[in-house]
Amino acid sequence: MTAMVIDNLHKRYVDRYTGEEIVAIGDVSFSVHEGEFVSILGPSGCGKTTVLNIVAGFIEKTRGTVTVGGTEVTAPGPDRGVVFQSHALFPWKTVLGNVTFGLRMKGMDKARREQAGRDVLELVGLSGFERKYPHELSGGMQQRLGVARVLVNEPAVMLMDEPFASIDAQTRRKLQQDLTALFELRRPTVFFVTHDIEEAVFLSDRVVVLSGRPSTVRDIVEVPLPRPRNWHAAVESTDFRTTVTRIESLLSGEEAHVGDGS
Amino acid sequence: MTATAPTTTPRIGRTRRRARPSRLAAAFWFVVPFVLLLAIWAVTIAVTDTPLRTFPQVNDVVGAIGDMIASGDLARHLGASLARIGIGAAIALVTAIPFGVALGASPMLSAFFSPLLRFSVALAGIAWIPIATLWLGYGNGAVIFIVWNAMFFALTYNALLGVQQIPEQLLRAARSMGTGRIRIFWEVLLPGALPSIVTGLRIGLGYGWRGLVAAEIIATNAGLGYALFLAQSQFDTDVIVASMVIIGILWLLMDRLLLAPLERRTVERWGMKAVS
Repeated sequence: MTAMVIDNLHKRYVDRYTGEEIVAIGDVSFSVHEGEFVSILGPSGCGKTTVLNIVAGFIEKTRGTVTVGGTEVTAPGPDRGVVFQSHALFPWKTVLGNVTFGLRMKGMDKARREQAGRDVLELVGLSGFERKYPHELSGGMQQRLGVARVLVNEPAVMLMDEPFASIDAQTRRKLQQDLTALFELRRPTVFFVTHDIEEAVFLSDRVVVLSGRPSTVRDIVEVPLPRPRNWHAAVESTDFRTTVTRIESLLSGEEAHVGDGS
Repeated sequence: MTATAPTTTPRIGRTRRRARPSRLAAAFWFVVPFVLLLAIWAVTIAVTDTPLRTFPQVNDVVGAIGDMIASGDLARHLGASLARIGIGAAIALVTAIPFGVALGASPMLSAFFSPLLRFSVALAGIAWIPIATLWLGYGNGAVIFIVWNAMFFALTYNALLGVQQIPEQLLRAARSMGTGRIRIFWEVLLPGALPSIVTGLRIGLGYGWRGLVAAEIIATNAGLGYALFLAQSQFDTDVIVASMVIIGILWLLMDRLLLAPLERRTVERWGMKAVS
């Protein structure tokens, strides 16, 4: 089953300062299957976050269609949960208050949503922190909460916008490993934005490689690594290296092309 | 129970011992400048031999406060003033905060109203006393109007600013979890703007307090401002200064007992710094 279809997506906007018309997304099409982990990768400024923001319903597209669970996307909705780079936790809510926020919006009663909240907190390793406030958690723990807050709502697709980019390298490795384990356990549908090639390959079933602006899909790369995955085993495998190299050459070909133009 | 008591008691004792001196030290350093001021005051009056008609000596003021308490004047004036500021502040809170938050939620409205609000903050309170007495006559109505007016613009403006300072991602997160347009007011805009609203409340109450005293001097026959006015007409400098001291102490108490705990329980607890 296909969870999400992006078809001929195009985004154009007028720069507020220069008045110039900018084409952020040229023409992007791809789809994500149910229970699949798909990353989108591209040079900085290629509009990968713009794609995610359009899917989330935060910004409007100029042309094309985005369908999630068979319905066309027009506004933000609980069928698409977002994990933000900045975590975007509510500072005035406790850990439990944050994680049960979406269920409360759905109208679930207190006892049931708190139980569901505790369960998912345990899953991400935050048991015992229910009564803490976000600022009392480390960056890595905050992002675990960010993931839990989305996961608990069981959205049709989980959108992750460079969720580990602002987290130190060591913690990031651990979070990537834990996210993989979580994915293999629960099999949510994930659409993941990153500029880190190794991260994309390690986490994903497929990687959508974008060209520079105006972005188009350069290629969609299948990751042949078996699951369950483990970071150390993965990086040492030839499949991992060849996939990374292939994506690097796809991107560097792009850079060379951009270099020629300027 | 008895077995665990000896192990837990020293721990509690230690934390208490650590907490107490710091609180004591804070209180000490809070009081020191006032003691110094009193000393300079007492010495200056004694050395220059200033007559009571010009400025009272410290013990005159203490005596005046004693008399005000004994005669029941203090209770009467205090009650009138506190009731007026309480009612005025309550009306200001329920009118200004929703208005400010609503303005802040719309970039167009907030851009339109910001200059007007800043203009009005400068004029708020005292400058409205002539109009207030024309409209409402001399009495409680005019004074409460002044307190409300003094607070309203500062509160509205700070609520507006507070909403504007909420990170876009928080609003997006709430909307992507199914928060509707009305609900987002309670769930995100109001708590998100709270650091700035607390600042606005502090500024606004300061304005309101000054507006109260000024309005009472002109518009009523009870209240601390009126006590000041009455004492002036009778050349009672000791009562004038006593009233001033009481007004100042009340403001400090309000700040310490009302605003500071509010800030501790919300903004500080949540790790959101108050904007000033």
